[in-house]
Amino acid sequence: MAPEDVVSRVFGVDRGRVTDATSNTTLAEWDSMGHVNLILELEATYGLSLSPDDTLTMTNVEAIKRVLQSRGAAW
Amino acid sequence: MSRVRDKTGMTHNSLSADLLEQLIKAATKASTTREAIAALTELNTAEAVVWLITNEATARAQCAPRDLAELLDVVVKAGLAGRAGTRAGDLAKLVARYADLAHADTLATVANSLPAVLRNEELVGAVHKTLEREPRHAGLLRVALDHALRKKEMFEAHRLLTRLGRADDSQATLHFIWRKRSVLKPTDRPPVRIALMSSFTIDPLVHYLDLECRAIELEPEIYVTPFNSWAQEIIAETSGLRKFNPEIAFLSVSIDDLVGDLGGLISGDQLEEAGEAAVDRILVAAKQFAEWSDAALVVHSLLSVHREPLGILADRGKPGRAAWLERLNARLADELQKLPRAYVLDMTDVLLRRKGGALDNPKMRHMAAMRLCGPVVGDVARAYTHYIAPIKGLTRKCVVLDLDNTLWGGIVGEDGPHGIRLGGTSPGSEYQEFQRYLLSLTDRGFLLALISKNNPDDALEVIRSHEGMILREDAFSALRINWRPKPENMIGIAEELNIGVDSLIFLDDNPHERELMRQVLPDVLTPDLPADPSLYKATVEALPQLQKLAITEEDRTRTQMYQAKRQREQTRVSAGSLEDYLKSLDITVTIGQVDEASLPRVHQLFQRTNQFNLTTRRYAIADLEAIAGDRGCRLYTLRARDRFGDHGLVATALVRSEADTWRVDSFLMSCRVIGYGVETALLATVGEDARAAGAEKLIGEYIETAKNAPARDFYSRHGFSDLGTEDGVTQWVASLTDANQTLPAWIRREVA
Repeated sequence: MAPEDVVSRVFGVDRGRVTDATSNTTLAEWDSMGHVNLILELEATYGLSLSPDDTLTMTNVEAIKRVLQSRGAAW
Repeated sequence: MSRVRDKTGMTHNSLSADLLEQLIKAATKASTTREAIAALTELNTAEAVVWLITNEATARAQCAPRDLAELLDVVVKAGLAGRAGTRAGDLAKLVARYADLAHADTLATVANSLPAVLRNEELVGAVHKTLEREPRHAGLLRVALDHALRKKEMFEAHRLLTRLGRADDSQATLHFIWRKRSVLKPTDRPPVRIALMSSFTIDPLVHYLDLECRAIELEPEIYVTPFNSWAQEIIAETSGLRKFNPEIAFLSVSIDDLVGDLGGLISGDQLEEAGEAAVDRILVAAKQFAEWSDAALVVHSLLSVHREPLGILADRGKPGRAAWLERLNARLADELQKLPRAYVLDMTDVLLRRKGGALDNPKMRHMAAMRLCGPVVGDVARAYTHYIAPIKGLTRKCVVLDLDNTLWGGIVGEDGPHGIRLGGTSPGSEYQEFQRYLLSLTDRGFLLALISKNNPDDALEVIRSHEGMILREDAFSALRINWRPKPENMIGIAEELNIGVDSLIFLDDNPHERELMRQVLPDVLTPDLPADPSLYKATVEALPQLQKLAITEEDRTRTQMYQAKRQREQTRVSAGSLEDYLKSLDITVTIGQVDEASLPRVHQLFQRTNQFNLTTRRYAIADLEAIAGDRGCRLYTLRARDRFGDHGLVATALVRSEADTWRVDSFLMSCRVIGYGVETALLATVGEDARAAGAEKLIGEYIETAKNAPARDFYSRHGFSDLGTEDGVTQWVASLTDANQTLPAWIRREVA
C-alpha cells in the first residue's frame, strides 16, 4: 500500500486527490489529531517506529515518502 | 501469435486457451507481486482485461476459481500501477463481472481507486454482494458508505459507519467514522449527554464512545473539557461543562499528572504526602461537581504508567508503589461512596480484561499528551457503557437460556444424563463457571428462564439430580421444555412473567435459533455466543444491559416471587413469520441412495439417533451393507445445507418394496435439523419414487421409545391413517393415488 493510500484512508478523501503536494495545510482533515492517527497508521502499515523528529517533518506527502524511504520502507 | 479483430472491435489473442494459461502462470507462479506484474505488463494487461471481460465463459470453464481470483488480483495491481495502459473503468467492469470469486481485497482496491462519482451501479452491486460473503471487510464497507452518503441514505450511512467501526477499530478509522457522523443528521434514538473530564488528551475516547453508545442504540452528545482544565471547569460557574449540563460525567485523572516525580525515585513520606494531596484534589472536585449537578459521576481509579523504581525489591522494608496506589484507591472509593451518585471505574479491571496492545504509548504521551492509546480506548468506552446503559433504563430483566451445549456440553437426549459434560473439570467446568455466574445474576434481581427443545423428562432429570448442576429448578422463574418454535415459547415466558419481550435476553449456542429469534422477535436481545464455552461467561458479563445502578431488597427476592406464581401459558407465534424465516434460510436438500462413501455416516445415524427415530432399529454395518446390495430395498440419504452452512448427511430412510406396497422400515434424522421440514422432503421423495414404481400405498412403522417423542406424530402429520399396533409396532398407511406428501415450499431439492 502506497503512502498516498494511507493518507486517503486516514482522512477519508478520494485517492485521486492525494498528490506529493498534499499537506496539513491543504487538507482540512489533517489537523493535530489527524496527524497523530496518520503516524500510527504509517507505523502499522510499514512495520516501523518513527522518531519524534520524523513525525514533525512529515507534514506533506512528499516528505512522508522521503522519510519512509530513508527508513527502508517500500511499497 | 495471430491476432483477430472481434465484433467489439477489440484486438485480442485468438489462441485464447494459450493466453489464459500464460496469464495464470504469470499470476500464480511468480514469487512476488512485482514479478507477476512485470510478466503481465509484457503480456499486455490491457488486452488481458478486455479478453477476460469478453470471454468470461471460457475463462470460468478453463480455470479453477482460486487461480482466476489470483489472476484478477495481479491484473488489477498491474493495471493500477499505471504501466499497462488499462482504463480504471475496464478494471471496475472486470472485477464486477467476476465478483463472486474475486478476492474482496481486489474489489476494494479497484473501487477505492475510483472517485466515488465514477463507481457505477454494477460495481456498487458487486460490493454489496461481496459484503454478504465478507461482512467485516473494511475497504468494501467504505465503498458502500460512500455510496450511501452520495445517495443521501442517512440511516444506511449510520449503520455502515457502525459496521466499519466493528470491522476496523484503529484510532484512525474511529476518528474517520466520527467525522463522517458529525455531518449526518442525528438518529431518532434516545439522546444521552456525556461529559469527559480529563487531565490528559482524551479525544480518541470520544470517537470510540460514540460508536459504543450507538451500539446500545443511543444518540450520544459528548462534551470534552478543554485540555488540562478539568478542575477549573467543575468550579467555574460559567464553564462550558456547566452549560452542557451532562446526564453522566467521567473523570479520568492520571496520578502521573498530579504527582510529578513518579518516573523517579520519590518514596517514603514524600510519596505518601503527594499521593494524599492528589486524592484530595480529585475528591474536592467530585464534591463540587455533586453540588451543582444531578448527573452520575464516574471516576477512574488511579494508575501509574511508571514501574516500581526498585524493581523486584519493591515492598522490601518499606511499602512499594503498588501498595501505595492500592491505599490511595481505597480511600478514593471510600470517600466517593459518600456522594449519592458517584462511582469508581476500576481501571485495573478494565486492563485485566482487554486484549492486545498497550495502554501507554510513550510517543503519543510526549507528542500529544495522550495517556490512553490504541485499542484500550475501546475497552474504556465499553466500560463506560456499563454506567450509561442503566442510567438510560436499558437494563433487561430476564435471561432466557437454552440447555444443550449452553448450560452443559452435549445433548441430553442423545448422550443421556450421564453422558453430558458438566462438572468440576474440563470439559464441563466451563459450563459450571457459566452457571455460577448466571446464579449470581439472580442475587442482583435478574430472572432466569429456560427454553429447550428436549423431552421434559430428560432435561428435568439433569436439572434435578445431576451432581454438576449449579442451577436447580428453583433458579428458573419459567420453563418451556418442548419441541415448539422458540419465539413462541419466548412470548409465553414474557406473558407468564408479565414483562415485555424487550425485557428479555436470549442465550443459545445454536446460530439458527438465534437468527430465528432475531427475525421473529427483534426486541429480544439475542447476543451471539462464541463457539468456545469457556468464553460464555465473559461474553455475557460484557453486556451493558445486565448492569444495575443499585440492588434493592426486592431484587434479591425477585426469583422467589416469580417462583410462587409460576404458571404455564402458550401463545402461538404467527405461522406466517415462522415460514418467512424458514424461507429466508435457503434450505437445500440433496437426496440419494447410500453408497460406499456415505455408509459409515448412515451407520452412525442408525447407532446414535434417539429422538427423531421412528423405529430405533439399530442395524449393524454388515446389515446395512447387505441392505444396500438388496434390490428390494432402498436406503435413502439426505444432506441438507442452508445459508449458514452445510449440515452434512442428516437423515436416512430404509424402505422395503413389496408388490404394490412400499414399507418404511426405518426413518431417522439428526436432532440438529428438527424443525426445518427436511423430513417432509425425504418422505415426499419416498412417496414419489414408490408412485413411479407403480406402488399403490406407503406403509410407515412407528415403535415408541422413551426418547423418540419428537417423531411420534410424524405419520399423522403427513396424512397417514393408523392401522393399529401389534407387538409395539404401530402401522400407518397412506394411499399413493392422491399425492398428499409434498415438498415444503421453503425447501429446494436436488437429486444426487
